[in-house]
Amino acid sequence: MTSATHLMMAPRGSRWRAASNLLLDTWEGRIGCLLFGFFVFIAVAGPLLVGSEPMRVHYLADGKVARLLTPVEFGPLGTDYYGRDVAAQLVIGARTALIVSLLSTLIMALVGTNIGLVAGYFGGRIDALLMRFTDLAYSVPFLPFAVILVALLRPSLWNIVLTISVLMWRTTARVIRSQVISVRQQTFVKAARVAGASHARIIYHHIFPNVLPLALLYLAFGISYSVLSEASLAFLGFGDPERMSWGQMLYFAYTSASIRTAWWWTVPPGACITLFVLSVFLIGRQFERYASPKLV
Amino acid sequence: MRVIGSVLRRLLHTVVTLFLVLTGMWCLFRLVPGDPLVIFLGQGELGPVELARLRADWGLDQPLLTQYASYLKNFATGNLGTSFVFRQPVSEILVTPLLNTLLLMTPALVLSIGLGVMLGSHLGWRRGRAFERWGNALVLIPRTLPLFWLGIIVLVVFAYGLEWFPIGGMRTPAFIPETWWQRLPGFDIAHHLVLPVAVAVLHLVSDPLLIMRTSMIEVINEDYVTFAHARGLSDATVRRIARRNALMPVVTYSAVMVGFAFGGQVLLEVVFAWPGVGRLMVDSVIQRDYPVAQAAFFLMASVIILLNLLVDFAYLALDPRVKLD
Repeated sequence: MTSATHLMMAPRGSRWRAASNLLLDTWEGRIGCLLFGFFVFIAVAGPLLVGSEPMRVHYLADGKVARLLTPVEFGPLGTDYYGRDVAAQLVIGARTALIVSLLSTLIMALVGTNIGLVAGYFGGRIDALLMRFTDLAYSVPFLPFAVILVALLRPSLWNIVLTISVLMWRTTARVIRSQVISVRQQTFVKAARVAGASHARIIYHHIFPNVLPLALLYLAFGISYSVLSEASLAFLGFGDPERMSWGQMLYFAYTSASIRTAWWWTVPPGACITLFVLSVFLIGRQFERYASPKLV
Repeated sequence: MRVIGSVLRRLLHTVVTLFLVLTGMWCLFRLVPGDPLVIFLGQGELGPVELARLRADWGLDQPLLTQYASYLKNFATGNLGTSFVFRQPVSEILVTPLLNTLLLMTPALVLSIGLGVMLGSHLGWRRGRAFERWGNALVLIPRTLPLFWLGIIVLVVFAYGLEWFPIGGMRTPAFIPETWWQRLPGFDIAHHLVLPVAVAVLHLVSDPLLIMRTSMIEVINEDYVTFAHARGLSDATVRRIARRNALMPVVTYSAVMVGFAFGGQVLLEVVFAWPGVGRLMVDSVIQRDYPVAQAAFFLMASVIILLNLLVDFAYLALDPRVKLD
């Protein structure tokens, strides 16, 4: 039995301790959790600290737009080409990143894990059909597809979430399926079947806990991948126009030809994306130790 | 016989996949709310008589099924329609950008996979030493950097700051070579290629590298590797044997990776103003030039599907134990 199975089977009180052990018993895990917690904090409390009007245009005393003020001249992070507060954009960006990534990863995990479980458990025709479907999803170039879909549907937060999750389930489905196929052969599954357990019970009660570490690992990958996808879409100009995101900040910086000078505008959003992805990745590596302990 | 059968079956799969992608794309463009003519031409540009004539010209008055059939027929015969913006056949517009994209992506992919295999087998071989731990941490960095941000930074430092490389595009207009090396054929294009290819490699190298490392770790625990050591073969020889055997997962993954890379290059083309098929697609989506967007998208999907087919065949050739199912 893997440690994650222990986690599922443990009495309620010690589950928390087991979970925090899993996440916090290495430096990598601690740094990852700390960073992720920091972004959650910024997303929740940031707008209170540095202002919540990322789209407001600021003006100078003489009535001109306060373009590209340096951090010394304005607020903690200066203004952008359109006279807007970079720091306010950055904290709203954290909120966008969290919402988009958590929602699309949730959909992705639900769809992908279930397709993988069903295909792997039943095998035969169901498996062949579902895997052909997955192959089809693999032959679609992600970003071009997302660009077209978002443009056709109109760029909004929900459409972006939908677009990202429409294709992202494919990896989870494939990986979970192959794991399920090997779990299915084991004695406890056969015993459950002999004891008369229903398919649903075998799948969700007996097999699922055994693929959980892998599902969590791909959940972490999913979060980092969806943040990068949202940022890429926004950078190409297909972000939600009413919602500032880190990718959109870079889009405005790039299209207004300010990347050469306005480092205070281009460095923070990119660094935030990087650190956010890094935090999720470090947390993911904790699950990886349980999903495939040989490799880490 | 068995081999021929499975090759044929695989070819059939490819054709079916292409067909399904086409069908999906057709449905997708039907999703656009509103009258396609109004969307394409803008509200109130034409009177009702002209609209009706255009509708008949473009076959939009036919039943949906007939429209679908003629769409499939047109794609199958290479008639990709006419661009709304350029007023030219789409197939003519697409050729040069596709070649430009291949010019950018071929060196990027070859270098990433090659470097990934080399570094990954090295890391796997040195498992457990400080070198491996630092290597693993270093590999994390390009994995977490957004491609377009990395591109912007590289652009600011090496093109704007140090002025070693051009700031984008593919050619310098009216390029005048000043030194003998600048006179070499293709120098100007190669000079423009350096930064985008370098960014692509940094971004792509980590996946084949990590897979190769994992696979290498699994292989060096196999009995035949222990046995090879015991027979007194030199370290270098054993390593070569192990590397060869560890290569299979990278070959499999390379198909997936090419698929991912062939979407992501859009960002690269936009940041470095590279006139490729991805940038063309983004521009046409923005200008609502749907025939071009559709064809460019289909072209990128086809490249992925065909490369997947190629990798399957390579697999068959590399490992006789594999049967394509």
